[in-house]
Amino acid sequence: MSPEPYDRDLTLPPPRLSVGAAGWVRANLFGTWYDGVLTLVCAAALALALWFGLVWVFRDADWGVVATLGGNFAIGQYNTEAACPGKNCFWRPQVVLLLVTMFLGMSWGLTKSGIARTVAILVASAAAAFAFLPYSMEKMGMDVRVLLLANAPALGAGWAIARHTSMSVRWFIILGVAAFLLSLGLLRGLPGMQPVPTIYWGGLMLNLLLAVGGIAASLPIGVALALGRRSRLPVVKVMCVTFIEVFRGVPLITLLFMSQVLVPLAFPEDFPLNSVARAGIIITLFSAAYMAENVRGGLQALDPGQMEAARALGLAAWQTTLLISLPQALRNVIPAIAGQFIGLFKDTSLVYIIGMLDVVEIGRAFILGNPEYLENARELFVFLALVFWIFTYGMSYVSRRIEYHLGVGKR
Amino acid sequence: MAQLPRTLTYQGIPVWRHLLVIQWTTQIVSAIVVVALVVWFFANIGGAIQDRDIPYGFSFLSREYQTPIGDHLIPYESSDTFLYALFVATTNTVVVAVAGVILATLLGIVIGVARLSGNWLVSKLALVYVEFFRNVPLLVQLLFWFYLMLTLPTVRDGHVVAGRIYVNNSGISIPWLSGSGGALTWLALAGAAVVIGVVVHRLLVRREVETGRASYPLMAGFAAAFVVGAVSWLAIGAGGEAPFVISLPGPEGRFGRIAGGFTIRAGLLVLLIGLVMYTAAFIAEIVRAGIQSVVRGQVEASRALGLSPLEALRHVVFPQALRVIIPPTISQYLNLTKNSSLGGAVGYAELTNVGITMTQTAPAVSIFILIMLVYLATSLTWSLIGNLYNRYVGFSWG
Amino acid sequence: MHMIKYVLGAGLLAAALGLAACGGGQDEEAAQSRLDMVKERGNVICASNNSLAGFGSIDANGNTVGFDIDLCKAIAAAVLGDATAVEFRPTVAAERGPVMQSGEVDLMSRNTTWTSFRNTQWGNFAPTMFYDGQGFMVLRSMGVSSLLELEGAKVCVQQGTTTELNLQDFSNQNNLNLDVVTFPDNTTTSEAYQSGQCDALTTDRSGLVSTRVGFSNSDDHVILPGTISEEPLGPVVPHGDEQWYDVVSAVMAMLIYAEAYEITSASVPATATGDTAVDRLFGLSGSYGQEILGISDTAAQDVIRSVGNYGEIYDRHLSRLGLIREGSRNALWAAAPCGDCPKGGQIYAAPLR
Repeated sequence: MSPEPYDRDLTLPPPRLSVGAAGWVRANLFGTWYDGVLTLVCAAALALALWFGLVWVFRDADWGVVATLGGNFAIGQYNTEAACPGKNCFWRPQVVLLLVTMFLGMSWGLTKSGIARTVAILVASAAAAFAFLPYSMEKMGMDVRVLLLANAPALGAGWAIARHTSMSVRWFIILGVAAFLLSLGLLRGLPGMQPVPTIYWGGLMLNLLLAVGGIAASLPIGVALALGRRSRLPVVKVMCVTFIEVFRGVPLITLLFMSQVLVPLAFPEDFPLNSVARAGIIITLFSAAYMAENVRGGLQALDPGQMEAARALGLAAWQTTLLISLPQALRNVIPAIAGQFIGLFKDTSLVYIIGMLDVVEIGRAFILGNPEYLENARELFVFLALVFWIFTYGMSYVSRRIEYHLGVGKR
Repeated sequence: MAQLPRTLTYQGIPVWRHLLVIQWTTQIVSAIVVVALVVWFFANIGGAIQDRDIPYGFSFLSREYQTPIGDHLIPYESSDTFLYALFVATTNTVVVAVAGVILATLLGIVIGVARLSGNWLVSKLALVYVEFFRNVPLLVQLLFWFYLMLTLPTVRDGHVVAGRIYVNNSGISIPWLSGSGGALTWLALAGAAVVIGVVVHRLLVRREVETGRASYPLMAGFAAAFVVGAVSWLAIGAGGEAPFVISLPGPEGRFGRIAGGFTIRAGLLVLLIGLVMYTAAFIAEIVRAGIQSVVRGQVEASRALGLSPLEALRHVVFPQALRVIIPPTISQYLNLTKNSSLGGAVGYAELTNVGITMTQTAPAVSIFILIMLVYLATSLTWSLIGNLYNRYVGFSWG
Repeated sequence: MHMIKYVLGAGLLAAALGLAACGGGQDEEAAQSRLDMVKERGNVICASNNSLAGFGSIDANGNTVGFDIDLCKAIAAAVLGDATAVEFRPTVAAERGPVMQSGEVDLMSRNTTWTSFRNTQWGNFAPTMFYDGQGFMVLRSMGVSSLLELEGAKVCVQQGTTTELNLQDFSNQNNLNLDVVTFPDNTTTSEAYQSGQCDALTTDRSGLVSTRVGFSNSDDHVILPGTISEEPLGPVVPHGDEQWYDVVSAVMAMLIYAEAYEITSASVPATATGDTAVDRLFGLSGSYGQEILGISDTAAQDVIRSVGNYGEIYDRHLSRLGLIREGSRNALWAAAPCGDCPKGGQIYAAPLR
């Protein structure tokens, strides 16, 4: 992909009227008298907020609760005595993390884009940096630290694989789906391994698994629903509209609650549908309803000429849809899907309503169960806000860069 | 016997390739599959309910609820029925939804415009606002506001601002009107006064149009309404007490709780702040995109015509941007309504919170079905408003 | 016309298939006893709490621990010989009924008050393992000395248990005007109370005691004497399997009698001691019915060795929260070998013989 000079926007900005730092300040902060007042008011408010914020963070707050829970924020109860007798399962989530960094490395090697490199290096170095947390060796063993450090070579390996094999994007996606399924199997316990019941999956791992699984599984369902909603067949259309409107019209927490109290009644008592699976299915269906609306927006935005041309070329209706409309529509809704993913990731914090210990709930439950930490709830929630913010802001940053890269919205 | 090959006679399209057949078969098959699935699902549930003696049904709705509801805009007693209690909870949700939507829209527009401000500091602060409030789960934000609210002085400190406004961590109390016996009569008369004012206005406008003489319809209309309203006020007041008196809040009893006036309780306040701040971040982005979608030349042309930046925004940019802004904003209103279901976390008695309490004494499944229906109705109302607006501006996005 | 026939034919065929599928789903399964189900599955599924101090909570290593949790472990030890063979199903208060009714758990040990409604609708309650009652906490400086002086107070209530209902009954009976704010959990409730948003905090007394321990100014708060409700807490088992109910009840009795006989986890006898009552309990001579129950003769050995007796469980989880057992309702009724030297508590179970 060489840069194409013709694509550049050749309109140049007008020459600047003022120069230097003073000129910039005058132009951007004190343009008019009310600009000046606004600037001063904002600056004062900012200074006050920063002052009180910093005093609290560095002097008044007691961050002991965050340090005490530590790794439980990441994996919940996954490596407890009850989940994994003998405590030898910690390496499974870590291997999954290694897979993630490897895939980030592969996407860097594949696209050679700056943003992929930045994300890959940031994630791998953050993971490796966790190896140096000042916990005692008893609380955080050498094996845990080594596996964290291994994220750096995993990144390199992924990059090298992508660079030195002729890997296509299609293969990357297929491998990605395979790796996701492998990760699920590994976390649950592959044949011959100690199984870990899904009820013990928790922490940030659970939020990410539900969000990633939910968005991926909801894509095909959402596309089908969107096509159904635009169908000329009245029965199909009515069914799709009903589904979409019902799932979009009620709060996720009521859906999750129903999944716990109603769904088990529909299956025999020994049917292996645990609460994580039920939550996953509900989140997928909920997300599919939103996905359908996004995809529909993309389909509606298409130039009807595209479809007419396809029909004129003799393509059947299904060929037109699969080969002409959908690829264009999906490309156009990538930003919307990214936004939906961020929303879904935030929404996974609602699984507290069914007692699952995601990253928010494990902290809350810990404080509830240990009254000596009751007064540290503030610190906990500030920490959680930061954790979520890092992930969601990172995601939205990446999506904006991808959007730019694909030239969505440009003609 | 010379027989013509059959292929030469035109047989028509084979039945299985007939478009109508394909379409209807698809529809019937899919309908049957879906109906069968739904029937299977609910038949199993019905079987389970019978086998395991699970309470179900809606007969509980006429029973007395016998549980307190902290927030209620309309009168509520613990001896009221479940049905009425659900209605009270629904009004609580509606209050938050309506107030939240209005405030979030206002704040969203301000932030969205600020994002495009020429003032570097203002636009960057707006950006920070959007990026922060959009990216943190609402639940976490609500709890943050909850703890911030608790740092206010307590009611026992008797903190008063601006005369008789009580601000403490239980809520904000302001002076308010309190109706006496004649309040309803006066309200009816005041309604009549408004009708009279409108009629006077209409008549005078027609006269002005027909005769060309200046008749000051607006002023006359207001005057008529005011006179009727004032006379009825005095008439009711003359018979005893005025229809409305100002009720001042003040501490009462051993615990110094504020009585009188109008109190916005802490739970409602925190939930409103949380929902408004969160939703405004999304609306701000919609507003920004909407404004940016208006061709730049339009602004420049209006400036060239001598409009001030504010006038240009008000008369040229907004009317055009609105078409882009409204549809996604309506879906944010829908989200706000649904998100109010987190109000229980900060102690506000909205629908879901009351519903969860109800499950202690009534079948959980029935309660949640009712709750979901109410939310569905609210959502459909929002969709309806959106569709009406679309028809009004003459364009469709749905 | 041909087309319509085909369409109708296809529709009828599909409808028939759909009905057949529905009918096929209704086949009967041979009812399996829950005890066999548990043994086959290899673990006990126990509806539990993970956010109530002392009863079911998460420790610094992420483990679920607590009084109620140990009761589940005791069942697993008795039935499967392995106290760790428990799968905890975290359950929020509002879903307790549906979870019990759906039969997806083997028992619920989750600080659940035994009421006649729940006994008929949710499942059967095993012997009460903890006696609680709803109380009030106020600031000492308010000078309130009795529940009846709470007129006009704003009360913070924790949602989802019987507390709201009891509060309503209490205010109705005494004609008290209380302003109620309902919060979903103990953190928000106690923070709202501690910061002065409410004048009083009401929940079970055990909850009040443990909450007060967490306050940095715990001496400024006083728990008012008296309770406004009766809250006997115990494990619940699903309806419809009496054998399983008997097993759970018997295991609870083992915990209580082991304490009465002063046998701790460290002193579980492996050979006959000569004390017939102890030997009978631990399956060292004769049997009190484990064979009929379908669990091993030496089940009590496994139970006490892995979780300890009632007193040990209590000390491990509740004493650290400031819940004093001596002289409270949760002391034993009597030390077993001595029938007429009552300890005065109410913890008691059917004799094991």
